Amino acid sequence: MTAGVGYVSIFLALLCALWGIIAPILAQRTRNERFFAGARAAILGQFVFVTLGASALIYGLVMTDFSIKYVAMNTTRATPVYYRVTGLWGALEGSLLLWEWILIIFSALVAWIYKDRHRELMPWVLMIFSVVSTFFLAVVAFASNPFETVFPVPLDGRGLNPLLEDANMMTHPPLLYTGFVGLTVPYAFAMAALIVGRLDESWIVTTRRWTITAWFFLTMGNLVGAWWSYHVLGWGGYWAWDPVENAAFMPWLPATAFLHSVQVQERRRMLKVWNLSLIIIAFSLTIFGTFLTRSGVLSSIHAFSNGPVGGVFLAFLALILLVSFGLLVYRADHFKEQQQLDSMVSRESAFLLNNVVLVSALFTIFLGTIFPLISEAVAGVPVSVGAPYFNWVTVPLFLLLVFLMAVGPMIAWRRASWDNLRRNFLWPAAASLMIGLVLSGVWIREFLSLLGFTLCTFVVATILFDTALAVLARRRVAGEGIFTALATLARRNQRRYGGLVVHLGIVLITLGIAGSMSYSVERQATLGQGETLAIGAYRIRFEGLRGSEQPTHYRVEGAFQVFNNGHALGLFSPALKFFPNQQSPVGRAVHRSSFSEDLYLILSGFSEIENNRATLKVLVRPLVVWIWLGGVVIALGTLVAIWPFRKDRGWKMEG
Amino acid sequence: MKRTRRFIIGGLVILAALAYLIYGGMREALVYFVTPSELKANEGESKGKFLRLGGMVVKGSLQRDPDGLTYRFELTDGSAAMPIYFRGVPPDLFTEGKGAVVEGKIGDKGLFVASTIMAKHSEEYSPHEQGKESSPRSFIPGEEKKQP
Repeated sequence: MTAGVGYVSIFLALLCALWGIIAPILAQRTRNERFFAGARAAILGQFVFVTLGASALIYGLVMTDFSIKYVAMNTTRATPVYYRVTGLWGALEGSLLLWEWILIIFSALVAWIYKDRHRELMPWVLMIFSVVSTFFLAVVAFASNPFETVFPVPLDGRGLNPLLEDANMMTHPPLLYTGFVGLTVPYAFAMAALIVGRLDESWIVTTRRWTITAWFFLTMGNLVGAWWSYHVLGWGGYWAWDPVENAAFMPWLPATAFLHSVQVQERRRMLKVWNLSLIIIAFSLTIFGTFLTRSGVLSSIHAFSNGPVGGVFLAFLALILLVSFGLLVYRADHFKEQQQLDSMVSRESAFLLNNVVLVSALFTIFLGTIFPLISEAVAGVPVSVGAPYFNWVTVPLFLLLVFLMAVGPMIAWRRASWDNLRRNFLWPAAASLMIGLVLSGVWIREFLSLLGFTLCTFVVATILFDTALAVLARRRVAGEGIFTALATLARRNQRRYGGLVVHLGIVLITLGIAGSMSYSVERQATLGQGETLAIGAYRIRFEGLRGSEQPTHYRVEGAFQVFNNGHALGLFSPALKFFPNQQSPVGRAVHRSSFSEDLYLILSGFSEIENNRATLKVLVRPLVVWIWLGGVVIALGTLVAIWPFRKDRGWKMEG
Repeated sequence: MKRTRRFIIGGLVILAALAYLIYGGMREALVYFVTPSELKANEGESKGKFLRLGGMVVKGSLQRDPDGLTYRFELTDGSAAMPIYFRGVPPDLFTEGKGAVVEGKIGDKGLFVASTIMAKHSEEYSPHEQGKESSPRSFIPGEEKKQP
């Protein structure tokens, strides 16, 4: 019954989506305005039916309706209700439906917010949404149907991957999907602008906040993924350059490039083709990411099983690239009259360089990710590209990016004079060089981390210096106090100050990565009861093992008393969880964070529970916590950038 | 004209730097994937090369030294078996009779010294096994679990 409702809803939504594609074309052909209204109605229809379909699946999951195969595969009677709901994105079929649902929510929001504006563009914007939605609905309906039924109905389900039973896993996929889907908004506007041939800046200005929002979700999705990897996977790391991590990270790079380069177009009317290309690439990469994740072409911890879905995604990807770049070429005559770059020392060229670096990073990561495929297909030689490749190529690029983060926001437009350079950079550069020198004398020996830390202080110094000057100016002009002045500045130029706060967040993340990559220490040993393991300033004493029956699994805990320089830090209990349906246990690492370093304990094995012998792996990873704090700062900065301060304008996207 | 030339030169410099980065990275980190039979066939050539070796952990071959951290086992692809030496903590899913991928080099006496073990992961699970115990008394990765 539930399955029937769901499946029929998907079909009805698919019909609406097809109408959403046809209606604008008919309107164009017949010059009949009424068909334009059809495009809106089609979005509304899809919204209603997809919501109904998704609700049906959630209902099935919550009610553990095991006649639906998807429910039987991803829940059990013992699964708590909230994990039943998150089963919606626990496997391929459900996560595609979730993607489609988020997509259609975004589409409906766009249709509703701009119902009286952009009369020329909107039908085409909505048509692009319907095209993308048609694709996902067709996949859900024909290639990976979450409403498939089983008979006889099993007595109990198989259950979610225990690794996914975690609070972060409840948020990581939806955040990432929201980021991916969010990029559809600027893409749809860009395509509409190309179709109509109105290639001024209006599509960029209109989608500015959408792009920032999508970027924000993409950033958070990746960070929460890293956090989950660190806290749940229990290997002590947060990023492995796994193909699927790369798939999620790659769209972030052109999206970030786009956020910066559109400012050049708004200000100087340059880089039109570049911006369009960036958003096409960013959007295509979200589809490519799904292809990588869901096709099983690359083996990965995230990869779902093989199926027909991969090929379908590849075909759709080819279609997007062909049509998008085809349109770009078709409208080539619109891009002739361009402004010229006045000087290499200017904000334009800093942003341009930032784009070059981001796209280079994208290219190298892309190459490393698909190289095994190329090698296998062309030369027949199976190879793998390890994490050292990605670290080697991206570290210099990201360091350059950190440097540009200091320069870009402060350097003058068009042509920076010596005076401008001296005023903005002399003191910050001097200060950061001093700090760099001190650091090199005190404790930092490795060149790359020293460079990283110095560049980070340079960014912070430029931001503090610039903001301090601006606050002083407001004090002089308006007599405001420091906090009022800061508030006024942020409100008057929210994109700039929001952006600077985001930069501070990126600096914190850079610090965290540099510290934890270069200065981690790791030890492992098998301990008998009462024996200790020393690592750095820590001493870890093994107290014993304890087994306990849990609702969904059997849990074996090791108890470890931890001392730091003789001070007791308390009892740590890393565990192994044995699930009845699983071959191997799932590790549960524990860690203690402080601003300077994390202590990370992994129980990797034990023998003879009565005799109490356990194998323990311990890591000391400096500065990791700053990665997560950086995420919080980025969130704050994004809020400053998109907050609708001026109430009378509401959610009007021009900011 | 001068401007165009400058852009072309700049572009070439950037491309060269990028090509160098990629080349250097690939040289460092490209790992060839071999099977035990391929490795046995070219044992001389493969010596000293960092490789990724995939196969099945031979049942009954897994030994753990008393220190708890040193493992010896054999990987097979059905026609040849390669002895492996590993010191460290293998991943949770590593066990006898299952697929595993190891990274490392051939050391002395034809022993493959692994620096990393990767078990084959999958988000699909084996179906419920009836009567399988769920409260183990020991867990040593790879060892048969003892009955309570």
